[in-house]
Amino acid sequence: MKVLMANIEDVMREAAARWTLVAYFFLSTIFIIIFASAINLDIVDGALAGAKLFGKQVEVSGSMSIEKLVMGFESGFSGVLYVLCTFLAIFATAHLVPRMQEKGTIDLYLSRPVSRVKLILSRYIAGLILAGSNVLYLIGSIWVIVAWKTHVLHPRFFLAGGVILFLIATLLAFAFLIGVVTSSTAVSIMATYGVFFFGVMLAGHARIEAALSKEWQAASIKFLYWIMPKTAELATAVVAYVGGPQMHNEFLKITPAPFISTGIFGFVCLILASWLFQRKEF
Amino acid sequence: MSQTVIEVSGLKKQYRSSVGRSLITALDGIDFAVREGELFGLLGPNGAGKTTAVKILLDLTRPTAGEARISGLPAGNPESRRRVGYLPEGHKIPSYLTARQALAIFGKMSGMDDVTIKRRSLELLEKLRIAQWIDVRVKKYSKGMTQRLGLAIALLHSPHVLLLDEPTDGVDPVGRREIRDILRAEAAANGTAVLLNSHLLSEIELTCDHVAVLRSGKVAAAGSIEELTRHATQYKLVPAAPVDDSLVAAFRESGAGVERVNGHMLLTVDDVPHLNALIDKLRASGGLLAELSPVRSTLEDVFVDLVRAVDPGAQPAVEGGPR
Repeated sequence: MKVLMANIEDVMREAAARWTLVAYFFLSTIFIIIFASAINLDIVDGALAGAKLFGKQVEVSGSMSIEKLVMGFESGFSGVLYVLCTFLAIFATAHLVPRMQEKGTIDLYLSRPVSRVKLILSRYIAGLILAGSNVLYLIGSIWVIVAWKTHVLHPRFFLAGGVILFLIATLLAFAFLIGVVTSSTAVSIMATYGVFFFGVMLAGHARIEAALSKEWQAASIKFLYWIMPKTAELATAVVAYVGGPQMHNEFLKITPAPFISTGIFGFVCLILASWLFQRKEF
Repeated sequence: MSQTVIEVSGLKKQYRSSVGRSLITALDGIDFAVREGELFGLLGPNGAGKTTAVKILLDLTRPTAGEARISGLPAGNPESRRRVGYLPEGHKIPSYLTARQALAIFGKMSGMDDVTIKRRSLELLEKLRIAQWIDVRVKKYSKGMTQRLGLAIALLHSPHVLLLDEPTDGVDPVGRREIRDILRAEAAANGTAVLLNSHLLSEIELTCDHVAVLRSGKVAAAGSIEELTRHATQYKLVPAAPVDDSLVAAFRESGAGVERVNGHMLLTVDDVPHLNALIDKLRASGGLLAELSPVRSTLEDVFVDLVRAVDPGAQPAVEGGPR
């Protein structure tokens, strides 16, 4: 526990001292402020009489209840947060392993009576806590603003935080793996963003497979689809979970498969990162 | 009888070079042991394998063959590092931390509680004369101050074994003496075994009791400083009155080498009985002996001789081994 606490303290202090924490929360705060000032709702007797977005009048169907509007809005917005939170989290935490592995620094960490696996996993958890606090800040702040402006409490919005954190945990495990192998922050960030976009591309694997002439090529695409994180499917799941079954037909189509295969990808990356770190010579 | 706390036996380490993939032997079956309370120096020219040996002791790198143990535990066992303090050469304490924060983080990683960390931190920083900088970030520190803080981190958990790579690097002469005093005090008071890697031979000579000289991955010489620096067959003889030439000739006739230097003589003899026979001659001739002492060379002389024994063109400068 002391090792974990020491790593959390180290990660947080580094984030604070290097302005990462400030930049991280500053960007999030700007986003929240823009969001808070952009939306003006006119609510009469619990129903939406009018809405303005960035000062412009928005067409609202006469029968739309404020609850439904909030649900729809938060559902759509959770998709934006999914990308924003994930990208910020990777940017803020991908350096954790490469910096620790720097010559002259790694000796100080590894000369402690701590196993290497415990050290890297403690750092991983510390990174997740840093990223998770930002996710909570963004989701919580937006939820509070919406509740304040509409008086509608929509707890499903927090489901978005859970799915976003799940994806961050998966991608951070991959960033750690790349960090252990290359000791490069830049490569870790680029490779992790690459995996994110590759996952989105592979969501259209059926069409890609159909367009390929050789069977082995189609099989390779299918294989890649099943081993890579399902970033597009998880985005759909975030939006659908927050909207709920009455807002999204997609809700009922969501299966656990994308979560399971994404989780396996992250778990394997973390095991590999720990194993390689354990074997590495400095 | 003090216990052996660092044991290295038959330690071998080979690397593949990144270019050409040729095999490089950093350590070729070295043996040495350090007992509790002992100050042990590891010497050697560039690439002799000193740093590799220390890294194996800390499980930073693994041996190809042989064994390294600390406090009876294999170096690969994290528990062997429970009471080990390490100051690496060119260490980089995270620059975003203050001394207080760095000590707190590394103390916790060593399993210390907050109260002890706080007490030991103040105690050590006072002793190392950087207490007034406790809340200043490390990036503002001079090299010497960073080195002192590194030593404080190494000493924080009252280690039973101290592994120090160039501990006085960048430290002023007064600071070097203070560090020497601290190391000696740790060894004497707590029985801490100190393994010192340094290219400053005078530093080793002033600090250590025993040394091992590594050369091309092997132990070229080992023993106490006194043993290594003593020329067994050369003695300085100071007579009470000038010795006449006939006596010098008699000495030479017996096979001794005689060199007159500033009123005294340097005698090179075969062995101790030979030396005593010369003294008998001196006394028999009515001469009186004012002083007789074995001639010692400096550790640097011994070191240079050992290095040149293999490579006549070798430079005596020594730094870290292969990384």
